[in-house]
Amino acid sequence: MKKISIFLIPITLFVLVSIFLYKGLYGDPRQLDSTVLNKPAPDFALPDLMQPDVIYDPSIFEGQVTLMNVWGVWCVTCAVELPYLTELSQQGVRIIGLYYDQDTDPDFGIKSIPTIQQEVTTKLAQLGNPYEFNVFDVKRDYSLDLGVTGAPETFLIDKQGVIRMHHIGDINTRVWRSKIAPLYNELMAQ
Amino acid sequence: MKKLILLFVLVTSPLWALEEAYNFDDPVKQKLFLELTQELRCPQCQNQNIADSDAMIAHDLRRKVYELLNEGKSRAEIVDFMKSRYGDFVSYQPPVTPLTIWLWLLPVIFVIGAAWFVLTQRKKQVNDFDEDVLAKADSLLEKEND
Repeated sequence: MKKISIFLIPITLFVLVSIFLYKGLYGDPRQLDSTVLNKPAPDFALPDLMQPDVIYDPSIFEGQVTLMNVWGVWCVTCAVELPYLTELSQQGVRIIGLYYDQDTDPDFGIKSIPTIQQEVTTKLAQLGNPYEFNVFDVKRDYSLDLGVTGAPETFLIDKQGVIRMHHIGDINTRVWRSKIAPLYNELMAQ
Repeated sequence: MKKLILLFVLVTSPLWALEEAYNFDDPVKQKLFLELTQELRCPQCQNQNIADSDAMIAHDLRRKVYELLNEGKSRAEIVDFMKSRYGDFVSYQPPVTPLTIWLWLLPVIFVIGAAWFVLTQRKKQVNDFDEDVLAKADSLLEKEND
């Protein structure tokens, strides 16, 4: 009996440590639990990217299930997902963009707004335009409020303006079918 | 040589200008800024604090810390602000919860357990020696005496 326990304890420890490390091997450390989940989208007042006179606030989410896609022309993965997002929007999914630019550093203001608009127009003409409109997160404050760590990231927002999913990384057929579509359909049915 | 150094300084000074300089009137705030940027973790490049990281998000977080400090926010308020957006993850100082309490308890339990193990084993060894070997020795001695 005693001998068994002498072997059993190290083996149990080894198995536990192995499981822990094995999980770490395949887990994505960037996939953090979002703190905004199941909360109303934070308040904001931000301009339209193309018509800076138009100011949006969280009422844009009311009454419709929305995918809010955080992106920028400088982001390589965003360019990869644009064609698929365009396909989705053609199927009737409402997608709005939360645009932020790397080079408009609020402390220096390197890039002018017309330049950004030009870049965006070119990019969307090339790869497809899935966006109903783009909210321009000028100082990236709203991204910060949402806990965005980079681009692309996508938020699924329900008809009451509550954030129901935060997806980090690109959206492709696999991600859409396995992760987003089930909840999206459920929210649409409500 | 001096001219050369001067030339070097003049040529490279635009590079310095690109470094963000966050200056505070209050040295206490300056110190707090340095402490906070050391303690807050970059959500993008996760093994760096926001003082070290050059990721855009780290730039943004540094700027936010600067703004909040200038608004007169305290250390705890700023850490809470970050945690409410990026989770407990964003601070290198983990909170004590039923899950994380083991970080402190496990080492203590291990030390106590190991000490207990060593002590009981040692006692047993001494006892073993006493009973078995002494009995044998006694019997040997008896044989010798016969």
